[in-house]
Amino acid sequence: MAFLLRRIAFYVAAFLVAATFNFLLPRLLPGDPVETMFAQSGTALPPESMAALRATFGFIDQPLPLQYGRYLASVFTWDLGLSIKFHPLTVNEVLWRALPWTLLLVLTSSLIAFSVGSLAGVAAAWRRGGRFDSFGAPAALMMQAVPPLVTSLVALYVFAIEFKILPTGFAWGAELDPGWNFAFMASVAQHAILPVTTLALAQIGGYLITMRNSMINLLGEDYIVLGTAKGLGDARLRFAYAGLNALLPAMTSFAMTLGAVFGGSLITEIVFNYPGLGYTLFQGIAARDYPLIQGQLLIMTLAMLGANFIADLLTLALDPRLRA
Amino acid sequence: MRTILKTLLRNRKAAFGAAIVGLFLALAAAAPLLAPYAPNQRAAKPHEPPSTEHVLGSTRMGRDVLSQTIHGGRTSLLVGFAAGLIVTVIGVGIGVTAGYFGGRVDEALNLLTNISLVIPNLPLMLVLAAFLGQTSPFVIAAIIGLTSWGWGARVVRAQTLSLRQRDYVLAAELLGEPAWRVITIELVPNLISIIGFNFIGSVLYAVITEATLEFLGLGDPMALSWGTMLYHAQTTSALRVGAWWEVVAPSLALAIFGSGLSLINFGIDEIANPRLRSLRIPKALRAAFAK
Repeated sequence: MAFLLRRIAFYVAAFLVAATFNFLLPRLLPGDPVETMFAQSGTALPPESMAALRATFGFIDQPLPLQYGRYLASVFTWDLGLSIKFHPLTVNEVLWRALPWTLLLVLTSSLIAFSVGSLAGVAAAWRRGGRFDSFGAPAALMMQAVPPLVTSLVALYVFAIEFKILPTGFAWGAELDPGWNFAFMASVAQHAILPVTTLALAQIGGYLITMRNSMINLLGEDYIVLGTAKGLGDARLRFAYAGLNALLPAMTSFAMTLGAVFGGSLITEIVFNYPGLGYTLFQGIAARDYPLIQGQLLIMTLAMLGANFIADLLTLALDPRLRA
Repeated sequence: MRTILKTLLRNRKAAFGAAIVGLFLALAAAAPLLAPYAPNQRAAKPHEPPSTEHVLGSTRMGRDVLSQTIHGGRTSLLVGFAAGLIVTVIGVGIGVTAGYFGGRVDEALNLLTNISLVIPNLPLMLVLAAFLGQTSPFVIAAIIGLTSWGWGARVVRAQTLSLRQRDYVLAAELLGEPAWRVITIELVPNLISIIGFNFIGSVLYAVITEATLEFLGLGDPMALSWGTMLYHAQTTSALRVGAWWEVVAPSLALAIFGSGLSLINFGIDEIANPRLRSLRIPKALRAAFAK
């Protein structure tokens, strides 16, 4: 319990840092912060929306600490202001509309990469020095060095433009109405193949290496030797004895790399015109829609914290030493 | 230093990686001599496919893609190494300080490190870059450097904590050596493999991130780098009109350079942790065991 409380306090502090960053940045830059933030809104917003927007971001006629308090109040009541690009929608509405698509890409690709990468890592460590290990491990590492930007562009060209096997963009066929029916779901799945695969490819190497290295370190342990001496089967030693324990570091890196996967997803979505956070953000950046750009930092931070919290719970379940 | 390099190059993967990185550095250094055309010269018709005259074709603006790739490497590599250096210096500074002094200092710095790790990097950089306007490559290097030191700090701290317990550190302290001397003379040299690993990894990360930020339209479009090449290719829909060469050239450059860096790191990892080495067992021996 103490462990979890400490973690939660940490997450609140981390979120506060992200919010403070948003608050301070426009105020630290030279020039009038209100001008900087809402320069693009000019004619787009009616005066009363402008006034509301100022209040949300703490641009009130008060000293700085009170402005800060006003801004934190907006953030913690989850009022992120109005989007300038997507007026009259609020930032909240724009982001919530986009988030499920990003989550779909991030979670599916992470799960695929985690399973495939970890299993491959176990295989590489089990026969280290073997053919798979000598070529697979470096190849996986090199794969990781290829930016998602590059893989997505190549995949888009080869599969969607040149061979026309898969759609070039968007999340579902234009002729369909969104709904929980088979035709729509199938179309969603088909549109997700390329983005999910490119995202997964970028991650597999990381899991393979983490798993391989932590497993190799475990294989020298006495309890493995004992297991072998007892005559346990290969599969049992490989998965239940070494694999399960090697999973712990892989789990931690699962949560930590999620931030990078979100980043990768932003890029992949832009290449494939996929209607998630990244694509929305891309339009926001082009229009210098600062409330939207700041809002995505908060929502992404929240997603990261959530993922880390889940990892904490799983670690707690896997590692009895923490439950004392 | 020399022995370190020698050990590193004796590892086949590291040597191969170093050759790739060295080749790219040489290309960037000698760009004006090697590139067949000036990078911004209208040397061809728009979107000319690869030919003997233009080995990698031309862009929408009729610029020679090969020349642009060679010249663009200068900016990309410079930003990569500069940002990598910033990341490493900050990371090592914070990590060693936290690990050496311990107590309150450690708690505060460790909290800072963990917070920086849990706030997603790219979204944070997007906010920074968007507010700073059309950012020059060097501002991008600074942004990357200032936001991405968390991993390095964490790893260096952990290693410092364990080195701190060694007798020779205690001996130096008992001799009355000041803290800065213990850190620079006793600790840092023993962290060299971790620092090197961190530096190479940071350069790789910085090169990719710079390209990404520029691709997103947050860079200075007048600067020439692999990232802005991809940005221009995207805004002129190069892929959709079939001009694949405009995308492939900077992509390949990024991918090959990145692979070179990661091979070096693979080598460092194997040298620092011999267990990870994938030893090739002699055939005769393997056959004997198989029976």
